[in-house]
Amino acid sequence: MKGKNRKQNLSDAREVDGSYDQLTDSTEDDFELSTVCYRPEGLDKLQEQTKFTKKELQVLYRGFKNECPSGVVNEETFKLIYSQFFPQGDSSTYAHFLFEAFDTDKNGSISFEDFVMGLSIILRGTINDRLNWAFNLYDLNKDGCITKEEMMAIMKSIYDMMGKCTSPCMQDDTHREHVESFFQKMDRNSDGVVTIEEFIESCQKDENIMRSMQLFDNVI
Amino acid sequence: MAAGVAAWLPFARAAAIGWMPVASAPMPLAPREKRRTQDGFIIINVSGTKFQTWRSTLERYPDTLLGSTEKDFFFNEEINEYFFDRDPDIFRHILNFYRTGKLHYPRHECISAYDEELSFFGIIPEIIGDCCYEEYKDRRRENAERIQDDADDENNKEGVMPDMTLRQSMWRAFENPHTSTLALVFYYVTGFFIAVSVIANVVETVPCRASPGMIKDLPCGERYALAFFCLDTACVMIFTVEYLLRLIAAPSRYRFVRSVMSIIDVVAIMPYYIGLVMTDNEDVSGAFVTLRVFRVFRIFKFSRHSQGLRILGYTLKSCASELGFLLFSLTMAIIIFATVMFYAEKGSTASKFTSIPAAFWYTIVTMTTLGYGDMVPKTIVGKIVGSVCSLSGVLVIALPVPVIVSNFSRIYHQNQRADKRRAQKASKEAGQAFLSKTNLSFEKEHHHLLHCLEKTTNHEFVDEETYEKNCMEVSSVNPPGSRCSSISSQHGLTSTCCSRRNKKTFRLPNSNMSGSHAGSLQELSTIQIRERPLISNSRSSLNAKMEDTVQRNSEHPYVTSAIISIRTPPVTSREGNNTSDSPDYSQRNIVKVSAL
Repeated sequence: MKGKNRKQNLSDAREVDGSYDQLTDSTEDDFELSTVCYRPEGLDKLQEQTKFTKKELQVLYRGFKNECPSGVVNEETFKLIYSQFFPQGDSSTYAHFLFEAFDTDKNGSISFEDFVMGLSIILRGTINDRLNWAFNLYDLNKDGCITKEEMMAIMKSIYDMMGKCTSPCMQDDTHREHVESFFQKMDRNSDGVVTIEEFIESCQKDENIMRSMQLFDNVI
Repeated sequence: MAAGVAAWLPFARAAAIGWMPVASAPMPLAPREKRRTQDGFIIINVSGTKFQTWRSTLERYPDTLLGSTEKDFFFNEEINEYFFDRDPDIFRHILNFYRTGKLHYPRHECISAYDEELSFFGIIPEIIGDCCYEEYKDRRRENAERIQDDADDENNKEGVMPDMTLRQSMWRAFENPHTSTLALVFYYVTGFFIAVSVIANVVETVPCRASPGMIKDLPCGERYALAFFCLDTACVMIFTVEYLLRLIAAPSRYRFVRSVMSIIDVVAIMPYYIGLVMTDNEDVSGAFVTLRVFRVFRIFKFSRHSQGLRILGYTLKSCASELGFLLFSLTMAIIIFATVMFYAEKGSTASKFTSIPAAFWYTIVTMTTLGYGDMVPKTIVGKIVGSVCSLSGVLVIALPVPVIVSNFSRIYHQNQRADKRRAQKASKEAGQAFLSKTNLSFEKEHHHLLHCLEKTTNHEFVDEETYEKNCMEVSSVNPPGSRCSSISSQHGLTSTCCSRRNKKTFRLPNSNMSGSHAGSLQELSTIQIRERPLISNSRSSLNAKMEDTVQRNSEHPYVTSAIISIRTPPVTSREGNNTSDSPDYSQRNIVKVSAL
């Protein structure tokens, strides 16, 4: 944490040798020694880039490092952690979408910087920032507009998190109706996709959404 | 939930941003949290060794001494530290438990010292991690046995307890010959007669000098038939009396009759009585002779006198499958070689290998390297086969034997361990429940998160029973009002959904829970109803069984309970200021979340 700009600190990475001695059955390199240890950039730099205070960053990093000693979260661990909060349903799809949204440099793992950047936007950004981030989450292929299929996927993943035991009973097409109503509300020019401008405009007009966006102000 | 995952709750709440734009209903209000005090250090001085950690680390387990206000009793103002006059080496492990969530047992520590420390700090030992759990339990068991042995010695030294009935004292005398002199005498007398009987059986077949007038030697049994008969009668009398006495004294006659030792007793004395009853008939004399063979089983009666014999019998029994495999492979080899040998020797003249079964004898004798020499191959092919047979015999017999020997100890210990583990599972569940206690603010935030999800999807979480009830009803939707009242009548007992996960370890993936977890959900709901909240002050309640805590009064506002957290209105008293929102929220929360 000295502020060095090392992207990949491979000090502990040793290749698994595969030297399996048949005679003595010794597997000295059997266990995974290839721990790639990733260290984030300095605390000061992160403080500039995000809107968190030093103390908050410290607390966040301690929690992060506890669960991921290697410094990065891969998708499996991410799904595992997220599923701890939703015991009744299957949150893996939604966690996958979240992972895609957090992993801004698309390298298959979330480093602490990615993590903290995302959190900074959600928790400390303006309402517009948050809406932008939510749009980015929904736009699965990142092409600037949300199609009905993308929305279906998102909606299904949210409903999956509820699980089976709900009241009223979950029907198979509940999420479809929900998507229809969403598109009705958001798609102004009814061209079948929701662009970022339509999205932000519709959200700003909706009081509920604006109020719920403010929920994130004091999460940390 | 594992302590570490609690740190990710802010992330999970932030991730809920994805639900907001699609939600059609307004979101519930966020739980009002008091301004979080800066997480500071706390210094714990254990007999001079200073340990330092964050306050929040200790607060992860609020139902232990260090996590609750009980530690205030140990705060020393002069040095501004928490001072404990206990063992610092063991304390290290206890503090590591707070840090990592796993309790380890150091092998070099004395088990009773460790137990004392655990109970002092309010940690129940069932949460010891899997890596150390077996070792811990083994040591505990040995210790308990040692204590039990000491207690028994004390008992035995005291002599006969005054309140025992004659029957009980008889049984005790039979089982433990060292309890009284009479028992010891009885023990030696029976041993002596067993030996006499066995020796008589052996000797009566030895040829004695022929009495004058006889030509050939007779076995002693026939020469001195009367003497041997009297001896046999005397022994059987003693054995019968012994058996009947044991039968009378046994606390459970049915179980005694079925036990191995009593069967041996019966088999040992039956031939005599059958011999008395049967007449000297030609047809049955053959059977009668066979019966006399069973008299040799008297020697097994020695196993009452020898602990080692009993252990051997038990280990043989538990290794039966390995022995069976050895026998099977030997049989295969015997059949193969006997067949080959037979066909190889078929051509030679005056061959002793008249049939394949006749060749079995040769194969067995050769494979076990006995080599009697009564059957010898004559052809060249036969000799080659014979040599291959003896070589392979060495291998086939010598290889599995060490495996069996090592299997003895492995299977023996494994059996014990499997049984132990099954018995310990129940207490482990209690231990996991203990681990699930988290602090209240975390629970509130988690529930708010789930509540947001409910609002987003316009569905609510219910438990398995309610769900099935709803599905079976013709009218699909229950009016929420009636459900509210029925649930709130349960004294606002709620369950924390995440606590259900706590029963399993952190590593379990959360796949679709519908089918397989139905059973655990059910049992969880029953456990919940039975249990009541533990009060943070009652340290001893942790060491008592979980059921004992039912009696605690629930007036105390702290809701540090295992699986249940009570959202009673005193939540408001816990916080200083109270807005009108929070009781409503908590009331609503009771209703909705209790459906979980």
